[in-house]
Formats: sequence, C-alpha cells, structure tokens
Amino acid sequence: MSEITELLYVGRDPAWAPWAVQYFFLIGLSYGSFLVSLPGIAFGRERWRGLGRAALVGALVCGLVAPVALLSDLHQPGRFAEFYFRPAATSWMAWGAFFIPAYVGALVLYALAALAPDFAAAATSGGPLAPVRRLLSGPARPRLVLVLGLMTLVAAFTVALYTGVEVMVVRARPLWNTALLPWQFAATALAGSIGLTLILARTVFDAGSREDRLGHRLLLGALGLVAAFGAAWFALATMSPNGAEGRAFAQVSGSPVWRLSAIWLAAAVAVPAVVALVKPVGSGWLTGLLALNAAWMFRWTIFVGGQELPKTGAGLYSHPLALGPDGLLGIVGTAGLWLAVLLIFTTLLDRSGAGDTRRSSTAVEGA
Amino acid sequence: MTASRRDFLRSLGRVTAGAPVALAAGVAPALAEAAPVHHWAMVVDVAKCIGCQACTVACIHENRVPENAFRTFVTTWEVAEADRISTAVLPRLCNHCDAPPCVPVCPVGATFKAAGGEVLVDADRCVGCGYCVQACPYDARFINAETRTADKCTFCAHRVAAGLLPACVETCVGGARIFGDLADPKSIVSKLLAERGKDVRVLKPEEKTSPNVFYLGLDDRFAGRVDAVPTLWHPTPEREGGASHV
Repeated sequence: MSEITELLYVGRDPAWAPWAVQYFFLIGLSYGSFLVSLPGIAFGRERWRGLGRAALVGALVCGLVAPVALLSDLHQPGRFAEFYFRPAATSWMAWGAFFIPAYVGALVLYALAALAPDFAAAATSGGPLAPVRRLLSGPARPRLVLVLGLMTLVAAFTVALYTGVEVMVVRARPLWNTALLPWQFAATALAGSIGLTLILARTVFDAGSREDRLGHRLLLGALGLVAAFGAAWFALATMSPNGAEGRAFAQVSGSPVWRLSAIWLAAAVAVPAVVALVKPVGSGWLTGLLALNAAWMFRWTIFVGGQELPKTGAGLYSHPLALGPDGLLGIVGTAGLWLAVLLIFTTLLDRSGAGDTRRSSTAVEGA
Repeated sequence: MTASRRDFLRSLGRVTAGAPVALAAGVAPALAEAAPVHHWAMVVDVAKCIGCQACTVACIHENRVPENAFRTFVTTWEVAEADRISTAVLPRLCNHCDAPPCVPVCPVGATFKAAGGEVLVDADRCVGCGYCVQACPYDARFINAETRTADKCTFCAHRVAAGLLPACVETCVGGARIFGDLADPKSIVSKLLAERGKDVRVLKPEEKTSPNVFYLGLDDRFAGRVDAVPTLWHPTPEREGGASHV
C-alpha cells in the first residue's frame, strides 16, 4: 500500500471563461423560448398566444445578446472573420459559426413578421418613436410567420445540436464526454426558457392566470426531463465505472465542493417543481427565477467546474472568480446588455396585444 | 558532443544530403515526397531525471513563455511505501501525437501536424477559442495571456530547423531527455524503443492518441491522472487583474 503526495504541479487557467457560460446560457434560453413560442405564434394556438408572445420576445433578446458574449470570449472580436475565411469541417465549433447567424437571422425575421402588427398598433399612438415603429410595422401574415417559424425551427435544431455535441466530443474531459450532455443542455435550456417566459409574461405583458397555469405545466414537464437525464447520468456513472460518466463521477464524488453543487442542482430542479405544483398561479416570478437558476447553474458547473478537474494532476485546480472583464464584470455586463435590449425592444412594442389581430378576430368569432 | 546530438545531426543530414541530387535531376516532386522523412520523437528516461526543472527554465527562456505558464514541466511526487519514502518525477510536455485530438477540433485549422510529426500552432491564424486546450488529454496546451492564442511545446521546431536540439534536451542535466528521428532506424530513439520495448510507456494509452513522447522506466501509477494527495505548492499565484481566471 502506498500513499502518493503531489509536491509540484502546474495549474492551468480555464480556457473557457465565464463568457462561455453566458453564451451557452443565453443561446439555450433563446432556442428554448423560441420552441415555447411556436404553438401560439407560428401555429396559431389561441391558448398559447399570451405565453407565445412573451417567449418570442425572450427568444429574440437572448438570441441577439448571446453572440456578443461569444465574441467577447475571443478577446479580439475581429477574429471571428477567421471562422468564415478558413472553416475546418472537422470542428463542430466551425459549423456553429454558420449555424448561429442562420438561427439568429431566421429568428429576427420570424419575430419581426410575428410582431409587425404590434409595432403598427404602437405606431398609432404617435410620439417620438412612431417613425421607428412604423418602420417595423406591417399587417398580420400568419402564413409567412408559419414558414419563417419552421425555418427558424430547423436552424434552432442545428444550434441545439452543435452546442451540445461541441462539448460532448471533448474526450479529454469525462464530465463533458457523455452522450447525455446534449440532452441535458437542451432540457435545462427548455426549463430555463420556460422560467424566463413566465417572468416576461408577468412583468412585460401583464399575463394572467391562464398563462401561469400553462407555463407551470410546461415547466413541470421540462424539469421532469432534467431530472430524468440527471438520473440516467447517475445510473450510468454507478453501473459503468469505466465509462465517461463513471470516470467523471470518480473524479468528483469525493469533493465537498462537487457534493454541494450536486445538492444545489437537485434543489434547483425540485424546488420550482414543488412550487409549480402547489401554487400554479401567481408564483411565476419565483418558479421562473428558480428555473433560470437551474439552467445557469448547470452550465456553470459543467464549464467552470469541469475545467477545475485536472486531466493529469490530483485534486482540483482552484480559480478564484476575477472581478474584471473575464469574470464578474463579464457576467454583469452580459446581463446589462440583455436588459438594455429588452428595454429597447419592449419600449417599441405595443404590449397590450392590441395589434394581435388574430387574437382579436378569434375573440370576436368566439363571442 | 553527446551521443544524442551526434545522432540528431546525422538524422538531419539524411534529407539535406539527398536534396541536391534530387534538384540536379530536376525531380522537384520527388523532393517534395522526400521532405517528410523525419519523424521527430522524444524518449524520456525517467530514472535519469532528477527533477531539477532545468528543462522548465530553459524552455521558458528559449520560447519566451509568459509568466505563470509552462510548455514543459517536471511533476514531482512523494511516494510513501511501508517504511520507505521516495520521490517520483515525470517530465511533461506536448506528446506530439500521431492522432492528436487537438487538431480536428480547431475551427480554423490553426493547429496542424507538421511534416516532421510535430503538432504546431499557426499563431497568425489561431483565434484563441481554447477548443484545442480542452481537447488535449495531457493538459499540455494553454492560452498565452499575452498573445491570446493557443500555446504549447513545439519540440523547439525553430531550433531543430537550425540543426539544434530542443532547449529542454540541450539543458537536461542527467541526459534524461533524448530527441531524435524515428524515421531513422539507426537513431538512438529508434534503438532505445527497439531495445527496451517492454519498458517503454506512453501517457494515457487508453486515449489512443499515439504519442511521440515515450517514457522509459515510468511507473504505471503515473501514466494517467494520478491518484494522489493534491498539490502542496501551486506555482500559479493569483494573477493581478485576473486576466483569465474564473
């Protein structure tokens, strides 16, 4: 029996700073919110209409801000041009450079087509912003919205695929190298985006109990998926010690920090589920924030926590959170940009739904 | 002149001696085919390493490696067995794999296998995305805090091109690092691998990366992620301003 003590080793700084967490968080929220918007906005399901408008705004704001975080992680934003001048087909990241603009471009067109009547309604109220609103306004075109929605759906799928597989293929990191990771990213993104939709529906669109109930039913489903994938990972980790999940589990199971992270993640899934079950109306604020926390925490744990696991050394790398642009300031800055884009967008938009001609006509028909 | 240097210089001559003949015969394509004749590799005789870190320092000076970063390093452990305590060392560097996981993930083709087998980074093309750093199973890469591009051991390609040995080999006190050409069956590295086949190890063989850094006398316990009490001394202090700390 021997005991080995590591005397000298080098620490490696994480190559993917919190900017990466912000990017994966925001792009996940965007494609998740887009999916939530589809039934009400693209497919014209009346019951989903209110939630769909909030989800659409969330998808658009997150979709516009996410690439900024990604560019910031390159430290010299002009470098992004290299992705298009010299793409390498063997790299999922290279494919992502094409999927992102395709998705964001399609999303913007889809959102503008869907919200054009809202801008038109807002333009009638006059004021200094009326010229901008008139520029964005247009008639209701349900067929165009449907076509653009389907195009965006394809692009959203490519983004969900590449963001998951890009990380999954890193064999050197057992925590990432699991086939479950893309599904876990997608499920947590969906849970977080439903949380964001609940918050936006309540704060921006003055949604009522119907949206709360529907949103919470969706949230329960998404959280159930997150829990199921988490349980599957744990089962694989314990049943197959030599698999990626088993090797990752062996790396982290003895660490108090990782035990705390696991408990936090479990609570972040369980608590909003319980609240959604017990109080499905009027708790959208709380469940929304908790679901967002679950989505963000999952990515923080995977990316930052994952990079704290040395590939050859013992123990954990210790990386204190920097206060500068590569740390806290980057996180706060991204959140600030997100808020600014949301404020600009919702200021221009008629949030009463007066421009929602399909909703009005349906209501008349119903009467 | 050491045996390693003589052997190395003899290997260099194999191409340069043939080149004028090929040019005189007007067979440029033949020269192009003859060019990748080298297959550079390093053999590390662990028993000869004394953990002095001279290689670490030489590399830093030769390659202007920024503060708090290392292209090569000697990991050191204390091993307590029964009533005996010993020191174990392991010089680490890029393994210049024949199946390098860092190459296919690079989104812009900045990381590549050179003709001599070295895995290199074109810093002008590198976007500093860090994907290759994640993909390397040996933690051999890092993002250079000054250039914001991927950085790693090059087998001192600039020195080798000039007929010199890599700086770490040149400076190794115990002669633990032996550099040479695997394409030359008479080279010392080829002979060492042939003669001591059973004693030859590579790091993390399960990764199937086909490394070109080979170890003689390496204890299997140190070939992968070492199950040890974590480090007592960490040479990377908290950087002021926290350029890329999380």
